[in-house]
Formats: sequence, structure tokens, C-alpha cells
Amino acid sequence: MLFVDVLAGGVRGGTAIMFGALGETVSERAGVVNLGTEGCMLIGALGGYATAAETGSPWLGLLAGAVVGGLLALVHALLVIWRRADQFATGLTLMFLGLGLTSLYGATYVGKAAPGFAPVNVPLLADIPVIGEVLFRHDPVTYLSFVAAPALWWWLRNTKGGLLLRTAGERADVLHVHGYRPGLIRGRAVVAGGALAGIGGAQLSTAYAHAWFEGMTAGRGFIAVALVIFAAWRPIWVMAGSYLFGAALALAPALQARGYALNQFALDALPFVITLVILAVLGKRTLRAAPEELRRVFESAPSK
Amino acid sequence: MTTTLTPAEPVKVPSRRSADLLDGVRRWAGALVGAVVIFSALLLVKGADPIAALGDMVASIFTSASIEQIAIKATPLILAAMAVVLPARTGLANVGGEGQVIIGAVCAAGVGLAFDSMGPVALVAMLVAGAAGGALWAGIAAAMRLTVGVNEAVTTLLLNYVALDVMLYLIYEPWKDPNGSGQPATRPLAVAARLPLIGTTAVHMGLVIALVAAVLVWLVLRGTAFGFRLGVTGGNPEAARRAGLPVKRLLLTAMLLGGALAGLAGVMQLAGVEFKLRPGLTANIGYIAFLAAWLARHKPLPAVGGAVLLAVISIGGDSLQLDSGLPAATVNVLMGLVLLAVLGWASKGTGKRTDALR
Amino acid sequence: MRKIVIFAAAALLATACSANTAGTSDAAAPGAAPAAPGKDATSVGFIFVGPKDDYGYNQAAYQGSQVVAKAFPDLKVITAENVPEDDNAARVMNSMIAKGAKIIFATSYGHLDAALKVAAEHPDVAVVQQGNLITGTPPKNAGTFFGTVYEPVYLAGIAAGKATKTGKLGYVYAFPISQSIDNINAFELGAQSVNPSAKTYTVNTSSWCDPAKQAEAAANLLKQDVDVITQHQDCTATVIKATEAAGKYSVGYHADASSIAPKGWLTGSQWNWGPLYTDIVKTARAGSFTGSKYNANFRVGYKTGDNPFVQSPYGPLVDAGTKAAIDKAKAMLSTGSPFAGPITDQGGKVRIPKGTIPDYETIEKIDYFVSGVVGSLPKS
Repeated sequence: MLFVDVLAGGVRGGTAIMFGALGETVSERAGVVNLGTEGCMLIGALGGYATAAETGSPWLGLLAGAVVGGLLALVHALLVIWRRADQFATGLTLMFLGLGLTSLYGATYVGKAAPGFAPVNVPLLADIPVIGEVLFRHDPVTYLSFVAAPALWWWLRNTKGGLLLRTAGERADVLHVHGYRPGLIRGRAVVAGGALAGIGGAQLSTAYAHAWFEGMTAGRGFIAVALVIFAAWRPIWVMAGSYLFGAALALAPALQARGYALNQFALDALPFVITLVILAVLGKRTLRAAPEELRRVFESAPSK
Repeated sequence: MTTTLTPAEPVKVPSRRSADLLDGVRRWAGALVGAVVIFSALLLVKGADPIAALGDMVASIFTSASIEQIAIKATPLILAAMAVVLPARTGLANVGGEGQVIIGAVCAAGVGLAFDSMGPVALVAMLVAGAAGGALWAGIAAAMRLTVGVNEAVTTLLLNYVALDVMLYLIYEPWKDPNGSGQPATRPLAVAARLPLIGTTAVHMGLVIALVAAVLVWLVLRGTAFGFRLGVTGGNPEAARRAGLPVKRLLLTAMLLGGALAGLAGVMQLAGVEFKLRPGLTANIGYIAFLAAWLARHKPLPAVGGAVLLAVISIGGDSLQLDSGLPAATVNVLMGLVLLAVLGWASKGTGKRTDALR
Repeated sequence: MRKIVIFAAAALLATACSANTAGTSDAAAPGAAPAAPGKDATSVGFIFVGPKDDYGYNQAAYQGSQVVAKAFPDLKVITAENVPEDDNAARVMNSMIAKGAKIIFATSYGHLDAALKVAAEHPDVAVVQQGNLITGTPPKNAGTFFGTVYEPVYLAGIAAGKATKTGKLGYVYAFPISQSIDNINAFELGAQSVNPSAKTYTVNTSSWCDPAKQAEAAANLLKQDVDVITQHQDCTATVIKATEAAGKYSVGYHADASSIAPKGWLTGSQWNWGPLYTDIVKTARAGSFTGSKYNANFRVGYKTGDNPFVQSPYGPLVDAGTKAAIDKAKAMLSTGSPFAGPITDQGGKVRIPKGTIPDYETIEKIDYFVSGVVGSLPKS
């Protein structure tokens, strides 16, 4: 069935984007935009693949992806929080740096074999009609993502760490009054966000495409940034948005493999147009949900 | 050249100015040296000789052919950087230069292919159409910002991808050159409708247009009431609103003008360099120009310098491959490091260090 | 205010124009007859559109350049990867010429315009472009060359047609350019020649290498019971690994990838540019480029010589009967063509009449899918 295939493809292709977008959510909830998510994902994709190839363990690869993604984000954190550099420009630069670094050091891993994650059917659940196929016949990292989004939601809502992070994004001065250092809290959030994006990249290379190639994220990190806004900074909505976007990406091959004649370029533009339309429709409402400090970044960032 | 422009600048206390300047130069130099040191370390890890690689790179820049190429490369970057500078004055972040450049080129191509037999008239029409196209594309983002409040940094980014698909559709289908051996590109523009070259150089007239545009932006921002209002809006939109300024209209105008400038950059690439619409037309112009503008903290004339600097790095980067045999993307690493160093260390925000880490 | 603007503009114009006299031009002095293109070259340049280690098209071309380096120890070989298919390509080629290169290989389909521009500026440099066609008479110092890529693809199609159990073959491609169209058609025609009901399902990715899109394309083809997948992509591992993991058959492209598909590998097509590159360099250095077969749209196939595109080794599942059928077809290709008429398009219209063997140029201009291919092409 077409719609089952598209939904299953949406989960398959949406997972990497979701990790990237969850990372961006963490960062933005603390008040920092990271347009360099694309670079974090890319460096995570290489780090993950290379580590899997060298150690033989895709799980170690996933860990390495998180570490290098976090390290690149640390550069962003240092510049933005400590040096007060502009968030948009630094993020975009991070993307170029990620592209360059991975290409400089990634060449040896192009075409090199590495062990990856294979799809595992969840016993019983995989046999449920429709739902089983859409949700329970994927790689382990995808299952991890099922847990990651709700866990993040719960953490942000119910823990002290989550409260501090949200406060850093809403009313940093309050933290200051209570003796916390908002800069440090934000820095940690940005690094954690980069690590999540790195996991997304590693999922792309070790679980989805089973290959490393330079520039392989192909804009998925930018999409992740946009998704966070249309999800109004809520992890569960990020999850839904990622699958929607993944499904839009999966629509073209699903239709073509069935022999439908369609305009290739219209289908390619579809995910972006859908995102724009949703932003336009939800616009006002999502903006009201924006963390206060972040709104400041969005509304008057460039005037320094 | 510079002397003719100096009188327009208000003269402040000279000692203060020169001290500021010296401080700025010191910081820039420090940042650049830092970037080069880190870059050298990365090359060493890669097993390359950084001194030879950088030496060859610097040597390769100072040939007449390279200088021409730098001028050609800088032309659209200057225009696209102005497309960031103008909206930035009102507080808007235009990350959509890439898409506006593409749509500018697409609209110019549409006009050019229809009327290029008319020569220079068609060229003028192409400039107008390209500017209009870029403005329209930026206008979508501006409209979304002003009506439903969606941040323009995000919408302009997304629109870049849509613009690319629009162009690809046109060059694979309706506009594809029937005599082009199946290549996805339009037919070339008639020679008479291309931008003329400057004298006997390989540099096209677009450079002049770009420099004039930059000077105009500078003059408008610094010497007109409109420019002043843009600045007030950017500084404090709430105060501007209370002062009775038409904030929405100012934001819209800045964004449209910015888009028009980026659209012009697309026309430069089309009518000055490529002569036909083809998939790789923009080559990251929009993104690189965005960074050039930030390097210059959104001041128009320094942004020209930023554009030239990035053009120098990307042209000099050829040498890293050709002379030193390094991978093509090595130049991206260098560019990234230089930008990060400048963004982080040459910026004025250094005094707030303790404040940020409180 | 306005005065200042006008003054500034005028000043700018003046500076810009006064640069004329100082500006230098690289063009050869008019009047002097240029040396034979590429004669006694001490340096040769190669540009590649992608990374030279992509395990695909660009790596094959890079390896060809290294064969040239070995064949002529006195020759300096300069290479540049990731050279975009726009005017940047002309810039890189010009830099190579400035460094002494007298022979230039522009190895991507989209490098043609830049190559022709460079050729026009440097009559003493031989510029050859890989894969495209020059319309009209080529300049004295330029030419294009290519193998008949679709011939080994046709042979691989036979292996696919024999191997398929469902009668559904899959083709992952990037953009509807003529090379891809020829390959898809030849693959289907090869399969049809042994399995008349075989159909080829096409999916495009709008990218020469986006592994995630490839993974999705392969997953969807497999879901539709396609059991043999091939591709025209610059990086090939993702599709082959997905196919192997699903226990289906792979037909390779660009390189022998049997190591990542030990079970399902059938055969494929791969490059061997070395001999052709070497001969082009030899011809140009001898001063006889102009008027040679390379000063044209040179094409070589099983009919005319050593195709630089050769069949990959067979995998374990290919039986003797299939090998015999392929050998027979190969013999046929030494006089005929995969596109020997009658060829009908998807709409059933006869496009190449019975008894006609089209020439290479006609084949490269085919802009329709043959009957049996499932998918659509843009209407231009």
C-alpha cells in the first residue's frame, strides 16, 4: 500500500532529521540558535562511520558521532556565549567548517566497508498490520529515537535540569538572581544539542545509507532547524514534524517505484513547500511559544 | 579613489579614531594568524607541508589572471552581501541570498532568452527583471514575517531549496536548449545581450555595477532619512513604532531592496559569466556573501572588503589542490577557520566576557 | 546628496576603466600562428566534477590520469577534484594552463562549455572533454571522447533479465540526461532480449550522490518486488548494500563492487580509461592532435575498438547459459547495436525502424524511454 510505504519511509528517513531537530530544540530552549546543526550532523556521520569501520562496532560509532557533533557545537557555544559572536553567522560558518573538515579527513572512508545497524523486527509488534510495518521494522537507532523524543519532553518538564535549561531560555536574569550561571547552562545545552545532531548524522551513515560520502546530509540539518520552529519547540511535535518531512521525502521514490509519472522537481520541492505552508499557517501561534530569550535573538539579532 | 570619498565621512576626534583603527587592525591580524596556525596544524595532521602549501597559495593570488578571477568572483558576492546589509540594518537576517540569486538569474534568463536579439536593451531589461525576481523571492519571506511572524532566517533558508527546484524544472523541461546535446541548460544568451568586458580585461562590467551599488547602499544608509529610519527600526522597533515610523513598511522595503540586490547578483552570473542558466549557477554565492556581510558587521563598505577577502580565499584555494594536491574542500576549512576567528576574536564584544559567563 | 552619488559612480567608473591599460590579457598574441595543440606538453591537467575517491565515475577518471602519469614519467599530471560544472571549471583549467599544462581533460559531462571557452582562449592547448558532444565542427584544439557506455549496460541487462524471478528490474538514476536515458534503455533492451516481459522501474534521486535518497529509492523498488537493481549514480555502495541485504541481485556501475555484494552480484560495467587517455596524450604530444580522431566527437565501442567501459566480472549466481547469451550478444555488438531497429518508445511508436543501426550520435540524442521502461521523462 502506498501510504504504508510512505509512512514507513517517513520514519526511516525522518529519524536522522529528528535527532538533529531534537538537538536544535535543546539548544533553542536554552536560548541559542544553531544553524550549524548541518555541520554537526555531517561530522557525526563521518565520525560514526569511521569509528564503526575501525572498531567494528556501530554502537561505538554512534557514540563517536555524538562526541564529534558535541565538539563542533562546543565551538559554537564558545563563540556565541563567551565571545558574544552572532548566532546566525557562527552557525553558518560551522556548516562550512564541518563540510571542509569531513571532506579533508573523510576521503579514506568513502567506499570503505563498515559494520552498520540492520533492521530488527520487534517481536509481535512487527506483525501488527500497518503499524507494524510503519514503526517496528527498523534499525535499533530508530527505536532509540522513539524513546528519545518523549524522554526529552519528560526531562524538560519534570527535572531540575530541564527547568534550569528552560529558564535560561526564558528569563536568564532570574537564574542569575538565584546564583546560577546562564552562560554555562546554555553552553551545556548547545553541546548536548550538537551531540544529538551527531547521533542523527551517525544514524544516516551507519543505519540508513550504510556509506559515508562527503556532504551526505544534503541540507537535512537546515530542515531540522526549520522543523523546531514549526514544532513550537516541543519534542513530541518535533517527532511528528520529522516524520512528516521524512514522508514528503519518501513520496517521490514510492510513487516512481510504482510507475507513476510525476514531475521530479515538484516532488523535490514538496517537503520545503510543505514546511513553509505549515509555518505560514501556524506562524503566530508558534511564535508565541518561542522561548523569550530566543525571541530576542530572532527579532533583533543582527542590529549589533 | 578613497580620497574622493573621505570628505563625506564626518571627522571625529582623530586620535580616538586612529586608536580604534589600530585596535581593530591588531585584532583582525591576531584572528587571521590564529586561523592560519590552526589550519597549519590540520595540514600537518593530514601529512602536508603547511608552509609550502600556504606559500604556493599566496603566490598564486598575485598573478594578473588571479586578480581578474578574484574581481569576477567578488562581483556577485558584493551584491549579495549588500542584500544582507540592508535588511540587517532593520534587524532582519536574510539568509536567502542563494535563492534570490537563483530567481534573479531565472527571471533575467526568461527576459533575456525572449529578447536577447535586441542587444543592450535586453540587457537592461534583464537587470530590471532580475532585480524584480530577487525582490519577489525575498518578499515572500518578508510577507511571512510581517503577517504571521515567522522568522525570516528560517523561511529564506527554506526558499533557497525551492528556488533551486524551480530553476532545475525550467532547465530540464521548458527552457532546455534543443540543440544542447541533452545538457540541462538553456541556450546561451546572444553576445550583444551579455555584460561587456572592462577594456581588455576578462572582468565584466558587473564589477562596476556592484561597486556602485555598494556605494549607493552606503550613501543611503548614512546620508538619507530613509537610511536613518531603517537604523532606528533596527535599533529598537518598539521605540520606532512609538515615534510613528511605519515599521512594517520599512522592514518590507529593506527586504525587497535586499532581494533586488541579490537578484542583480544572479544577473551578473548569468549575463557576465555563465551566459546560460545551468544547475551550478550560484555556487554558494548567497551563503558566502552572508558571511562576508557579517564579517563586516553589516557596514556596507567593509562588506565589500569582506566579499573580496572571501573571493581571495576561494580563488587562492585552487592552489591548495593544484600545487599541494590537497582535497578540494580544504579551502572550506580555511574559510571556516578564518570566519570563526574573525567572528569570535575580532568582534567588539570582547569586553562583555565576564558578563556572559556570570 | 545626489551629487555625491553621481560623483562616486563616475569615480568608480573611471578607476574601473583606467584599469584597462594596466590589465593584462592571457590570449595569445594575434597573428602569430599557435603551436600544434598539446605538442611536446610537459604537463597535463585533469578536472573531475566530484571527489577523486568516490569509488565511482570520478575515481575511475582519476585512476586513468595516474595511468597517464606512469606511462609518461617526464610528464607532470595536475589534478583537481570537485570542480563544478560552471565557469569555475574554466578558471581551474586556466590555472592549470598557467602552470604549464598543454593538454586538458575535462572529465564531466557538464564541463563542456567551460572546456570550449578555455580551448578558444588557448589555441596551443589541446582540450578534450569526456562524455558530451560538441555541436557542429569542433575547434582545431578540442574534441570529446567517450565509450559506448550503454553497450556493457546492455550486456548486464541480459544477466538481469535471466536472473529476475519477478520480471521487475530497478534503475536508480540522478537526472534525465542522455547518458542515463541511454543506459536505462539499453538495460531494458538487454533484459528484453532474453526475457520479453521484463520491465525496468526507474527512480531518480535528483543528485549524483545523496546516499539517504538512494537508500529510500532502493527500499521502495524492493518493496515493489523488484529483484535486480542497477544504477547511474556517482557513489554506488548504498544501493548495492541495500539490495544485498534484501537478498536480491545487484548489477554494478562504475566499479567492481562484488566485494560488498558477495551473494547477489551478477555483473556490471566499469571504466578502464588508462589506455584511451594515454593514447590521447601521445597523439597530442606528437603534435598531431588537429585532424586526429580525437579532434572530433570520438566514440569507441565494441564495434570500433577497445571500449573504455568494460563488463565487470561475473558473480557466483550467473550460470553458463547466461554467460553464453552475453557472449553471443557481445559478438552481435561488434557489428550491430543495442539500439538496432525496431525500437519502440513507451507509447508504442516506432522510433528507430527495423533494419536501421543508428550511429553513436543519434543514440546519444535519444530523449525517450523505450517500451518496457516504467517511468517518465520531462517533456522538453
